Amino acid sequence: MVMNKTLLFSICLVGTVHISLSQGTPEKIDLKDPNIQFVDGSVIPIPLEIFTSLDKLGSQDWAKQVASYEITLDTNRSRTAMLFGLTISEGFIAVQAEDKEAVRRIGREVLRLSTSLGVAGSVESHANSIVHAAGKSQWSVVRTELDKTRQTVLNKMAELRDDELVDLVSLGGWLGGTRALASVLKENYSVEGSDLLNQPDLVKQLKDDFNAISERARRGEVFARISKTLEHLESLMRTDANGAISEGKVIEIALSTKQLVEAIYES
Amino acid sequence: MRAKPLRFAASVVPGVVALSLLSASLHAQRPEGEISPPAEESAGQAQPVIDEVKLIAQRAAMASLTGENPFILRESSWSGMIDPGKARLIQLQLFKRNEYHFWMAVPDRDAGVNVHIYDGNGEIVEGENIRYDVGNVAGLIVRPSESGVYYLRISLQTTVATPQEWSVIYAYR
Repeated sequence: MVMNKTLLFSICLVGTVHISLSQGTPEKIDLKDPNIQFVDGSVIPIPLEIFTSLDKLGSQDWAKQVASYEITLDTNRSRTAMLFGLTISEGFIAVQAEDKEAVRRIGREVLRLSTSLGVAGSVESHANSIVHAAGKSQWSVVRTELDKTRQTVLNKMAELRDDELVDLVSLGGWLGGTRALASVLKENYSVEGSDLLNQPDLVKQLKDDFNAISERARRGEVFARISKTLEHLESLMRTDANGAISEGKVIEIALSTKQLVEAIYES
Repeated sequence: MRAKPLRFAASVVPGVVALSLLSASLHAQRPEGEISPPAEESAGQAQPVIDEVKLIAQRAAMASLTGENPFILRESSWSGMIDPGKARLIQLQLFKRNEYHFWMAVPDRDAGVNVHIYDGNGEIVEGENIRYDVGNVAGLIVRPSESGVYYLRISLQTTVATPQEWSVIYAYR
């Protein structure tokens, strides 16, 4: 594609309006309309999106959520992909806690995992930036580099036609973030905060994506457990008529996700 | 659950996005509208190219990514092709108390694009539509009243005759 001259022009904001219903914009859409064209492809929220919301309710003890799991690698690439996603999510938690040493350790783990996945060449500069920026407490840089690292690996996997691993990296990232979120909410429950766990459609999508992965890529006991846990979480991560998720359910979500995360690390 | 009988196959853009406009938007070149890669593309052969349409959206986003309370740009994005007069829906999970800023861009400066957001029941959600000095870029700021699933509706006006490649990026704070 030839560089378009459009790019040479600056783009200036000229105004904002509250819901201007442009020509043909409906006020309501029938989501079951068979003629609606949905865009395929999901973007999973990163943990920081959720943590940012929770922090607006008051400061949280993120330091308590920084875990230090020992990663033992084997030849199971599916597990490695899950571990990569989990490690990135641990990085986001460590950023939230502003834990320099944890972020630097995670930066090194990211590089080790990406080497095992065969994508180290694409990730190395980001991993180095994570370690370097953490040393200088440049948290916004670390945050950006973590998201870039995650996206770079997803892109590389997609290029290599490893779509199953893409789903597993995304699932691992979501699981790690949800583990931390539920744990924080369990320690400091509030009806307002519990609403952040209202993710039934997202869990269903993750579950469907996971169940669509070939049996070969899901070999091992831990993968059977993932399927069951996602099924369980789908029923738990849904607000009630009052727009809340009960404290009991939050505790159950925290326990289920923690046990699954530990099982993946230990499997 | 909603039915998805006509899934439009646009990939989540494999974009290596830079935060600054000085950085190029790169992605593995894959023809739009195909879920599976074409036969001639094989593993490892995808060539990085500049995603010009995404770059237009990023240029519009730049002013919102700096300052005292900047939005934080996500690296993920969506892209595809759209016909004049048509719309697409993107399913999203949004969180209460956050503010989200979406940008949509198409290449033709004569084009007009619209971006709106709907809740899980299909009701339009109040937001701020952002207009720029060019019609081929539009923005939307939304503050969800509850956490849950939302649908971003993007559409292309009939001011152009030809289908347009589109790109959507977003940021939060």
